[in-house]
Amino acid sequence: MATTTITRTEPLVGKRIRRREDPRLITGTATYVEDIQIPGMHHACILRSPHAAARIRSITTQPALDMPGVVAVFTGADTQGIGPVPCGASLPGLRVPYHRILATDRVYFVGHAVAVVVATDKYIARDAIDLIEVDYEPLPAVADPEKAIAPGAPPVHPEWPDNVAFTFHQEGGDIDKAFAEADVVVKQRITSQRLIPTAMETRGVVAEWRPGEKSLTLRSSTQIPHLMRTLVAQMLSIPENRLRVITPEVGGGFGSKFNVYAEEALMGFIAMKIHKPVKWIESRRENFLCTIHGRGHVDYFELAAKRDGTMLGLKLKLIQDLGAYHQLLTPLIPTFSVLMMPGLYKFANIQADITGVFTNCVPTDAYRGAGRPEATHGIERMVDILAAELKMDPAEIRFKNFVQPDEFPYATPTGLSYDSGNYAAPLEKALAAVDYPHLLAEQAKAREAGKLMGIGISSYGEICAVGPSPAMPAGGWESATVKIEPTGKVTIMTGISPHGQGEETTFAQIAADELGVDIDDVLVIHGDTTVVQYGIGTFGSRGTAVGGSALYFALQDLKAKIKKFGAMLLDSDDILFANGQCICNKTGKSVTIAEVAGASYRAMKLPPDTEPGMVATRFWEPPNFTFPFGAHIVVTEVDKDTGDIAIKRYVAVDDIGKIINPLIVDGQIHGGVAQGLGQALWEQAVYDDNGQLITGELMDYALPRASRMPWIESSHTVTPSPVNPLGVKGVGEAGTIGCSPAVVNSVVNALQPFGIRHIDMPLTSEKIWKLVNAGGQA
Amino acid sequence: MKINGTYLVHLPQERAYALLQDPEILAKCMPGCDRLDKVAENEYEMKMKMAIASMSGLFDGRVKLADQQPPSSFRLLVEGKGKIGFLKGDGLLKIETGDETTNVIYEGDVQIGGTMAAVGQRLLDTTSKMMIKRFFDKFAEVTRDLKTPGPVPAQLQD
Amino acid sequence: MIAHIFEYSAPTDLKEALGQLASGGKPLAGGMSLIPIMKLRLAAPEHVVDLGRIVALNYIREEAGTLHAGAMTTHYQIESSPLVRSRCPLLAEAASHIGDVQVRNMGTIGGSAAHADPAADYPASLMALEVQFRLASSSGERTVSVEDFFVDTFATALQPGEIITEVIIPVEDPSAGVSYQKMVQPASGYAIVGVAARITKSGGKVTKARVGVTGLGPKAFRAKAAEKLLEGTEGTAADIAKAAAAVSEGVESNTDLHASANYRTQMARVYAGRALSVAVSRAT
Repeated sequence: MATTTITRTEPLVGKRIRRREDPRLITGTATYVEDIQIPGMHHACILRSPHAAARIRSITTQPALDMPGVVAVFTGADTQGIGPVPCGASLPGLRVPYHRILATDRVYFVGHAVAVVVATDKYIARDAIDLIEVDYEPLPAVADPEKAIAPGAPPVHPEWPDNVAFTFHQEGGDIDKAFAEADVVVKQRITSQRLIPTAMETRGVVAEWRPGEKSLTLRSSTQIPHLMRTLVAQMLSIPENRLRVITPEVGGGFGSKFNVYAEEALMGFIAMKIHKPVKWIESRRENFLCTIHGRGHVDYFELAAKRDGTMLGLKLKLIQDLGAYHQLLTPLIPTFSVLMMPGLYKFANIQADITGVFTNCVPTDAYRGAGRPEATHGIERMVDILAAELKMDPAEIRFKNFVQPDEFPYATPTGLSYDSGNYAAPLEKALAAVDYPHLLAEQAKAREAGKLMGIGISSYGEICAVGPSPAMPAGGWESATVKIEPTGKVTIMTGISPHGQGEETTFAQIAADELGVDIDDVLVIHGDTTVVQYGIGTFGSRGTAVGGSALYFALQDLKAKIKKFGAMLLDSDDILFANGQCICNKTGKSVTIAEVAGASYRAMKLPPDTEPGMVATRFWEPPNFTFPFGAHIVVTEVDKDTGDIAIKRYVAVDDIGKIINPLIVDGQIHGGVAQGLGQALWEQAVYDDNGQLITGELMDYALPRASRMPWIESSHTVTPSPVNPLGVKGVGEAGTIGCSPAVVNSVVNALQPFGIRHIDMPLTSEKIWKLVNAGGQA
Repeated sequence: MKINGTYLVHLPQERAYALLQDPEILAKCMPGCDRLDKVAENEYEMKMKMAIASMSGLFDGRVKLADQQPPSSFRLLVEGKGKIGFLKGDGLLKIETGDETTNVIYEGDVQIGGTMAAVGQRLLDTTSKMMIKRFFDKFAEVTRDLKTPGPVPAQLQD
Repeated sequence: MIAHIFEYSAPTDLKEALGQLASGGKPLAGGMSLIPIMKLRLAAPEHVVDLGRIVALNYIREEAGTLHAGAMTTHYQIESSPLVRSRCPLLAEAASHIGDVQVRNMGTIGGSAAHADPAADYPASLMALEVQFRLASSSGERTVSVEDFFVDTFATALQPGEIITEVIIPVEDPSAGVSYQKMVQPASGYAIVGVAARITKSGGKVTKARVGVTGLGPKAFRAKAAEKLLEGTEGTAADIAKAAAAVSEGVESNTDLHASANYRTQMARVYAGRALSVAVSRAT
């Protein structure tokens, strides 16, 4: 036993540490689903409907089956025994169409899976698809949610001719009184267009059935391996413990892989039928047509206020384009919008009515922000519209209405309890960063010179660390196991499923600090249901706040156990654990964590009431959501001649609670802002009147490009969350949520001389040009 | 997508009206079409090979003539389906008389589906216009020697 | 995204390639259009003849007042060639606007011209530069002017089995001012409209104006009305505005999701104004 003096090493939490997962990602040595090769593996290709609505009169598969190399062709008739694609949401009166994994007698959207070919290679499988003849009887389709609920619209599901999947009403306070007492009411229709998540890696599944072991292994590009195991086992009617889901490297999800899709059960079914491994990799075309889309709102807002700018109440009529089916959480997403509709403001009266509408389109579901960007966009636009109406400064009206720092925890009229905040702080910081008074003077000068300069503010709040279990259909807790191996190496098994969020680094930072070990001695394992204890997954900015907290508590358990062993080994009760060593305060003698761990496994001697080994598992239930907030200020200049928008400055001040790794946080903010800009300026999934997705490729769907990104001046205020021991709030969606209203507010502000009050996204150059050149008529 | 336009044909109105509905003439003029096979009164099937630049696709097509108002207007419905998608055109052709020449005014709607719709929206307008232009250019060419009134083609006599 | 089965050959000799093309092969240049089209199964050539190994089609050289670029010269080679930059800066400028770095490293000037995409960048400059194309097939060679080359949307003067072997570009008058200005379609990077301008001045007057336009109509074209309006003037802002307003004369504008016909027309005028202003200011 060595005697050492203690030098306190600097904590890693809070340091800009490069992501430990990056070298393999950028050197092509990571393993994605497509990289998996299994001897005897077959390949599947799926035939999809070119019609948005049609009856299937017949399917002729024989010519495909006759093709050499084709092993099997399955249609809806063959897969009727498989359970439906799951919808995890339950709402009163929710109409849930039976979502078969392959269409049977009818197709409901372009891309609807109709048949699958299995062949010895992927080229044969694709060629054979062209040999299947489907006799369709095209039917009228409807792609626009407002048209879908208008009288006479074609029914998406004939059993529900009104196309309404559900309605949902929520009220808080006394909305009628608020509107009766108001001096001014501003109203606006605001849309949040359909977006295509477009993860860099499309979806993919490899299924392997071992008949001897009666076990099925699915390798899938997903955000939720454990939930997938439970749900796919149910779909396939196999015991859950004989299904293993492995999540290899996942190239982005943004919510689109927070789902269980038909293909996961379908590949399992095929592998079990043909007793061969089978691989399916989604093409980009399929990714656009068949993987969930996001947003799809038409919102009618009414905001009531006093003449001095005090907001009194907000009404929202929300029409949600659900698509043809419910995927995992489809109907729940707009309810998040309702929860978040008051934003950071303290009016006590709200009323919301959601109409969930079926359309002949691919389902919508969670996409970065999931309901919250829509809500934030709405309230932040309405605040600006009110400010313009009252001729007040947009910053001033926000300061006037913020929930105050001494009011936390703050009960919102939507039933939430905001955890902590100082909402004025980030806005003050952002205003200082742009030198607001100077900027206003500059704008006045620019306007005199005939230039269209805009200043846009958004003060956003969001719900993160999703969430307490009662708020989630399948639980909202998270799990962690920490093992100190006999040699002292630390293995973390987390129930979350990181796919770009960097927890292999941040969790290692937390563990290295808590245990006083080298970060390189910590390994973070995730995404294998046979190796890792049950977990919920990665979505809703929950990874660190919920999964990291479970880890934190497991580490505390281990530290207690380490101290017990240390006390035994050092034969003392007066033990300090620091820097990876147990030190006897009296003698100064110490044992390393490796020595302790080794002793715990050899178990020659055990401390009283202590089991051998050095493993701790915690399942942690968060008591509440966390509520990050922030302020984004965007300065734009509009080119009168072309309608082009130039972003001159982008200032983001985000309060996401405590920060584990500022480098990763920067990346999350940058990526979030990029996707926010995408929605604000470029992206839109466009279906034509017949339900054809005409932005079906990256040639027409305009993703943000690196070359079009502005410089983001990112900084923070730090208000720790009291909800979890780490004090973190979550950052994955903040940038996206804060961005779009700031951009639109800025451009509307630039066009103020033309009397413009609102512009729907995306702010395409042509749209802006028309407003500038046609005196306000879009 | 809505389409419309006007073409000048060097034929008298009645002649233009008749020839524009003559299946042999139509077969010659419709891009990628070799032959129309009659399946019902005023209804024909065809195989079309559409080729634009490097792109090409085979379509099983159907042509229908309807709402005939001799000699001034009729509707032309064209449908095609193939592995790269489907297309539907529904157009009203108005044949308006001049002296020696006739104006053919068309307006209608083009719908496409499948891969063509998803990747072709950028080119739909341009290529639709080009196809229609090719049709009328070819029409002008094949009817050059049919200017003088002659027997109405057999297909239209019954 | 898997193409139909096809035969592939990559001859190193031009004659051999022309022989293969004569028997129905489809020429593959940089593959920036053909490969995606094949993967979408919008094209299914039975035999693809890759011209990429024919060294004799990749060169840039100057001969008696003209630049000669082999058809397989990549956009990046054109963009970065000191010879092109000094002798024909407009072409280098246009090349630098095409797609992205990856596309410019693969795509070729011959492939782009032969594909004749109505929104491609090059054709505007090729029109303004009054280039000539050297074409070859197994039955011989011929030279075609750019005006005769671009026939319609995706349609050129190339006959089956015939390819571009060379682009012949007049060396620019050193005193000329040139510019290529482009409104970028945000998804694809193609031109919503692109305008290439060449201006020569003498004695304070515009003696020669050449304006090539892409993206606006069914094919790239020379805006001759605009050229005429500018020639003989002093090239003032007012002169330029007048000329720019005429850039769309006689053209039926394209319409799509990204730009209606009216907006495209207006943008053609705006970008013509910009290209002309820059070119006039650069002319000495």
